[in-house]
Amino acid sequence: MRAGAPARLLLVAWFLAPLAGVALWALADQWTAATVLPQDWGLRGWREALADGLPAALLRTVVLSSTVALLATPAGAMAARGLVRVGPRLRAAASVLLVVPVVLPPLTVVLGVDVLLLRLQVPAAVGVVAVLVVQALPYTTYVMWTTYQAYDEAYEDEARTLGASALRTLLRVQLPLVAPGLAAASFLALLVGWSDYIVTLVVGGGRLVTLPVLVASNAAGTGNEPVVAALSVVAIGPPLLLLVAVGLLGRRGRRRAPTRSSVADTTDTARMAGVAS
Amino acid sequence: MTRLVTPLVKPPPSRRLFQRPPSRRRQVLLLLPALVPIVALVLATLSALGLQSLGLMPLVGRPRVSAAAYTAVGADLLSATGLTLAIAAAATLLAVGVGLVTALLVVSFTPLSRLVRLSAAATVTVPHLVGAAAVGLLVADSGVLPRVLGLSAQQWPDLVAGPFWVAVVLEYAWKEAAFVALVVGAALATRVAQYDETAALLGAGRLHRLRHVTLPLAAPSLVVAGTISFVYVVGSYEVAWLLGRTYPEPLPVLAYRLFSSADLAARPEAAAAALVTSLVATAVASVGLLAARRWRVHA
Repeated sequence: MRAGAPARLLLVAWFLAPLAGVALWALADQWTAATVLPQDWGLRGWREALADGLPAALLRTVVLSSTVALLATPAGAMAARGLVRVGPRLRAAASVLLVVPVVLPPLTVVLGVDVLLLRLQVPAAVGVVAVLVVQALPYTTYVMWTTYQAYDEAYEDEARTLGASALRTLLRVQLPLVAPGLAAASFLALLVGWSDYIVTLVVGGGRLVTLPVLVASNAAGTGNEPVVAALSVVAIGPPLLLLVAVGLLGRRGRRRAPTRSSVADTTDTARMAGVAS
Repeated sequence: MTRLVTPLVKPPPSRRLFQRPPSRRRQVLLLLPALVPIVALVLATLSALGLQSLGLMPLVGRPRVSAAAYTAVGADLLSATGLTLAIAAAATLLAVGVGLVTALLVVSFTPLSRLVRLSAAATVTVPHLVGAAAVGLLVADSGVLPRVLGLSAQQWPDLVAGPFWVAVVLEYAWKEAAFVALVVGAALATRVAQYDETAALLGAGRLHRLRHVTLPLAAPSLVVAGTISFVYVVGSYEVAWLLGRTYPEPLPVLAYRLFSSADLAARPEAAAAALVTSLVATAVASVGLLAARRWRVHA
């Protein structure tokens, strides 16, 4: 479809234009109005961002989003495993409950529970993590649900009949087989934590300065475009690199995932479970 | 969502001989780590907001039932609801349009299609707040776009903090179009090629195939993705706060301003605004999901 080339270029421009603006500003030292390109290129924005606490904010964002992913992924995976096994009525009820955190705006959640968290003297960071884990659970559960729907428990049975323990079967058979799903689920959970602004702001009481909080406080002022751009590059970069990594991992996982279950595959299962040489 | 693991052929039934039937009760236990936090947080949120908005959970003073919070900000709530719905409708319409076109154009495997797919995927990972900052850097009167076009700040319309919420709508449309493209693209990727080829072999023209094959296949996921986008925009705070004007306000901005005001008496009003926001989001979600279900039945 060569006729679609201009349309495709337009779409690329639509998606990349805001990022291109960030890239230009991140390298501009001096850029007076009504000139097409900056007069002076340089790292002014980066120096100001470093002075404004960029490393600490980045560290907080990394710790926060990893914690959210570490908690929401196993819980979502367990729920998904349960969902493919329970009866249809319970499954329907659970899937309705799982939609609720997507519908209920995070702002209203934190305006509601903020007073409760204060009265119960829950530490701010714990409160932020708890709210964000609930925001992430629908995504991790959904991804793992589709994963387990395409997953064959017979591999576990084979490993068990060959003498592997339950733990060994989990570690050597089940987890490797659902690894691509786990990667995608934890990436989504990570994104929930990485992107959050309002939950961190309200429950964190303004003291938990993550990357988005730092971007917001700079973007709300005027005349500091280079700092905002430098901070934005750091906020956009890591998830993007992870996306590429997860994509490559997923492709490899798909290629390696066994496509049929037969007696011949038993030796593979056995090797994975480490019960036969 | 793409299928992450290739579906496996079911094993022969003889395996049942070795297997104890998994107990139902244990399976229910597996659901608890996800469902208990969700239910707890939702119940806590709704009851706290309800009690606060009715004056039953005051920060200072004695609890007394009153609808004062609702009447005090009643007019603001009404105009804020209208504005919120207008912004969400405009942004979702744009997002669904651009997202659908993107999904239709990336099904092929040319390098340019791959570039479109990559740039849309990259957009999905950008935090909305950072996206708002980026759109501000692009379309503000001191932004990149007026500079590239050689226009002065006076010649450039007030897209940021202007009367029509243009920058706000653009940011949501930009991010959500990528999301819509991802969801609809995944739904199309698995099935559209076969049906399209069959229809082509049977002699259907391009427009015919688009109308009778591709669009019906895309419709359910399009409705779902559009609903999720709409609901997200209704409940989202940071983009309208950063790129919008100060008055009138969308619901979340109103709720947060009341919440953070120095006047503690405004807390019930903030709770009322937050509850109305949730109500609007729930109503939109219900309509959208019902529509999606009906569509799927008809398709």
